[in-house]
Amino acid sequence: MSAGIAPARAREAALLGLGAVTLTLGAGAVLLLLGGYDPVAAGASMLRGSIGSWNTFVSITLVRSVPLLFAGLAVALAFRAGVWNIGAEGQLYAGAVGGVWVALTFTGLPSLLLLPAVLLASCLAGGLWALVPTLMRLRLGIGEVITTILMNFVGIYMAAWMVHGPLQEQRGVFPQTDRIVEAARLPALIPGTRLHIGFGLALVIAAVLAVMFRRTRLGFQIRAVGASPQAAAVAGRIDPARVIFISFLASGAIAGLAGGAEVSGLTYALYEDLSDGWGYTAIAVALLGGLRPGGVVVTAIFFGALQAGAGAMQRDAGIPAAWVDVVEALVILAVLGLDRVRAARAAAPTGEGGA
Amino acid sequence: MNQIELTLFLESAVRLGIPLALAAIGETITERSGVINIGLEGSIIAGALGGALGALAFEGAGLGVLSGAMAGLLVGLVFAVFAIGLGADQIITGTAVTIGGLGMTGAIYQARFGATGTELSLPTLAPVAIPVLSEIPLVGSALFAQAPTAYFAYLMAPIAWYVLFKTAWGLELRATGEAPAAAEAAGVRVRLVRFMATLFGGAMAGIAGAHLALAHAGTFAENMSAGKGFIAIAVVVLGRWNPLLVLFAALFFGAASALQFFLQALGFDLAYQIFLAFPYVLTLAALAGWVGKSRAPAALALPWEPHR
Amino acid sequence: MSDPLVRLRGVQRRFGRVQALAGAELDLHAGEVHGVLGANGAGKSTLFNVLGGLLAPDAGSLEIEGVQTALGSPRDAWSRGIGLVHQHFTLVPALSVRENLALGLRGRSLTEVGGVVEATMERTGLRVPLEATVSAIGVGDRQRTEILKTLLRDPKVLVLDEPTAVLTPEEVDGLFDLLRELAGEGRAVALVAHKLDEVLAVSDRLTVLRAGRTVLTTERAGASERALVAAMVGSGVADEIALGVHRAGVKRNAPARDPSAVVGRLTGVTGDRLTNATLEVCAGEVLGVAGVEGNGQHELALVLAGRVRPAVGVAQVPDEVAFVPQDRRTEGLVPDFDLTENIALALSRLDRFGAGPLMPWDALEEEAERIRTRFDVTAPSVATLAGALSGGNQQRVIIGRELALGAQMLVAENPTRGLDVAAAAYVHGELVRLAAAGLAIVLVSTDLDEILELSDRVVVMTRGRIVVVPGNERTREGVGALMLAGRSQTG
Repeated sequence: MSAGIAPARAREAALLGLGAVTLTLGAGAVLLLLGGYDPVAAGASMLRGSIGSWNTFVSITLVRSVPLLFAGLAVALAFRAGVWNIGAEGQLYAGAVGGVWVALTFTGLPSLLLLPAVLLASCLAGGLWALVPTLMRLRLGIGEVITTILMNFVGIYMAAWMVHGPLQEQRGVFPQTDRIVEAARLPALIPGTRLHIGFGLALVIAAVLAVMFRRTRLGFQIRAVGASPQAAAVAGRIDPARVIFISFLASGAIAGLAGGAEVSGLTYALYEDLSDGWGYTAIAVALLGGLRPGGVVVTAIFFGALQAGAGAMQRDAGIPAAWVDVVEALVILAVLGLDRVRAARAAAPTGEGGA
Repeated sequence: MNQIELTLFLESAVRLGIPLALAAIGETITERSGVINIGLEGSIIAGALGGALGALAFEGAGLGVLSGAMAGLLVGLVFAVFAIGLGADQIITGTAVTIGGLGMTGAIYQARFGATGTELSLPTLAPVAIPVLSEIPLVGSALFAQAPTAYFAYLMAPIAWYVLFKTAWGLELRATGEAPAAAEAAGVRVRLVRFMATLFGGAMAGIAGAHLALAHAGTFAENMSAGKGFIAIAVVVLGRWNPLLVLFAALFFGAASALQFFLQALGFDLAYQIFLAFPYVLTLAALAGWVGKSRAPAALALPWEPHR
Repeated sequence: MSDPLVRLRGVQRRFGRVQALAGAELDLHAGEVHGVLGANGAGKSTLFNVLGGLLAPDAGSLEIEGVQTALGSPRDAWSRGIGLVHQHFTLVPALSVRENLALGLRGRSLTEVGGVVEATMERTGLRVPLEATVSAIGVGDRQRTEILKTLLRDPKVLVLDEPTAVLTPEEVDGLFDLLRELAGEGRAVALVAHKLDEVLAVSDRLTVLRAGRTVLTTERAGASERALVAAMVGSGVADEIALGVHRAGVKRNAPARDPSAVVGRLTGVTGDRLTNATLEVCAGEVLGVAGVEGNGQHELALVLAGRVRPAVGVAQVPDEVAFVPQDRRTEGLVPDFDLTENIALALSRLDRFGAGPLMPWDALEEEAERIRTRFDVTAPSVATLAGALSGGNQQRVIIGRELALGAQMLVAENPTRGLDVAAAAYVHGELVRLAAAGLAIVLVSTDLDEILELSDRVVVMTRGRIVVVPGNERTREGVGALMLAGRSQTG
């Protein structure tokens, strides 16, 4: 199952990723030309807006990449287990709501307690958001693609309701929460920049996942169930339901962290439309990274650059920001297409008709 | 609730249900051939923008609908090339197509009409009242005083049902969705059938989008499809992959969505957002409650390679 | 002899690295039944798929009634009058028999189809339940439907790929009568089989394929079994002996059954496709479970192997049961995992590999290396992906891995399916060796010869029930009758 969309070997995955990026840039350039834009100018402004200077790179690109990194890891984990978690967007909002609620409620606590509490709350909230689709899949056999997508909408509206109602700022003017106290704010990772330790946390999680997949029993079981639930059950006597349950909820929890870290590290408040479709971008991030934690780190930064550059592209080259979504879609399609080519080449069946 | 309010409720119900019906009937045919098109949302939004642009360009809502159908079909074509032609994973391909479709329509809209959001004013599809039928008390105006696209949906449901279950084409289509290997051995061109079924679904979704823009809202707004493509896929499940039942399921859904007005009229003062979330929660509940009774086409979403 | 209806010459076809056909030839004449013989992997099905338009040959020629033809699709094949009845049924389970028959008879209205169906059923005596859903009817009915489907198009050439694999001996006789009749009507009938006796019983002429080539064509009259067998397996002595083991039905010295040595017992197990299944297996014996596919064998195997707990009834099996499933690629191995990982799949749970949260990859790699050597797996290294191995080597990996569990009991499900003669002989040899060493073995197989040759005791599965075969009925006919009737012949 999941093996159908990620090459077995890391080297192949990297090559495939590079190939996909190249194809996408090419296709993107063609589309821009068709639209009457100048691809070169677009590319230039995008580069300037994302990596034009150290400050741009750290305070804009890397900062943009933080939620993508969390969500990308969440999606990669789920896909690896054969779980189509398209719900990172909703789980992210749930996490943001959970985190901000703790931050607004326990204002008296010192940072040492409050910060972990905020992050933990976003994990729990994200995991909870994944619980409904998980149970619907395991108990009722309902595919998680539609259910997680539906939960996305519910999550977005739930968060919107929160900032219009129960969690709205005291003066009641805008649909947003009050700013959270200092103690609930993630400190800067690199002093003087906007990059908060959320980035470090995400890297730590990536490392943990990498070690988990490669060296632990649970990681092996997840890979087995994702690659072939039948073989895992029959040959490995692994209970696919248990593995799916753990992976799905963990995925939701990590996605929840994306929301919590964004609120706690950057915006210091929750408002409507916190996320710019990060949960969906995360799918492209995860696929391009070959579903490997190391790969996801690289691709999250790449997409962070894309999003950072999108603003510059709009200002300088007049290209609408929604263009980045098109690029994401092209990336996914490129990865899928190249993967099919790889699979066709690798196929050396032992003569199916040869009996 | 008095008679007038009930009538208004029913009118809203049908109006909200029609786009779902159009998209879901198309997707029923697609899924019966073994393909699940998560990119339906992309086709709908493309149809909305296509419909809007077409109506403006040709100065008529009718041609707008046709443009919308074409736009939806094109998006369906992209999906088909990857998911059927290349055999890529249908779920991921569909997700990509949706993301791309939403992005592309957003980009085109922003480029043409600026990000300032001055509302687009479109030639609209006016409701056409069918004589006699629309006079029926209570339901007459709800069912038979709608835009022509609604009548198209009413027609397509039985036509699709007939083709699917009573013709040789329909038999081949169903065989393709149940056992493509057997269909191939029987001489059916599986990939071609799936392509056609997907393009049909895309076109229907495009018409749904055009209806949204031209008959419902009278304008285009980014992301105005609001997940209707996903709800339509759930409606197909609820309608047990039977076009007639799917039509009813879609209208039922419209009613559930219209319920928010009903409740507001009754004085329930729940937050606006809760009403917005209601259709999605309802879909989840319906899926949970209805499952286990019907069976999807056996080969749905499974990759398939021709023999050669 | 008149000109052949069909003439295939020099047919070649490759799949990836495997050359399935390397210059095969075949002549089919009207009015004859032509048997095509060959061991597993000889290319018989591939050749028939080419004839049926499902596969395009890389090289070679096809003449139909003297006219050079290239078939682009199954539809082309029909329009030229060739009807192929497939080994793996190409029926749509969710549709009714009538709908399956109508499928592909396009261009005709459904009422026309009805008329043709009735007429053909009358003429051939093939009766099928038209309104039943295919998933609900038995294997015999399915095959009759498959044949009827082909006959509806009135083919000049009727080609059957392994038609007897899923039939009871009685049903096979009925089929052969029909084939002779159809040949008598002036058609050319060809069938593929790897069971010599069956083919000899019905054919007028024979062709033998080996390693993708035609090595012998002869009239039935005057063809010696020895010559045919030699043609099928080549002149390699070892191979011939292996086949000789197959054919002679080597009887082992069956150990006296010791009731205290019962290793596995099922009592009244009922559930998915199983009805009141009861049996016992003892240390050192081979219990053969015979039966036509689809009678609950797979479910039985899973319960015996402890992979599935029965809903009703009691399954007393050891904690560790070695299991060689019939679907190697989906249940036995993960094709995208390498050998070490596949071996780790089953073995990492064992105590000797520790109990912590970490995977002991070093120890597992050593184990994998040991298995690779001990069981002679042809693979560059333990880092090779399992999907790249041949069927025979995959089976070696699975057997090696399962035996490393140190279990007292082994369940083997169609263990030689899809393997060439040498690999099959190897597997049989292993099973015999293990039983002699004291392992309790349950051999679930649809290959009756395999069962009769290796088993100490035989039971038959029909429709989820188990019927014990008394000692004096352990013959093809006896077991076959039981498979059909579910009752003992003698009472």
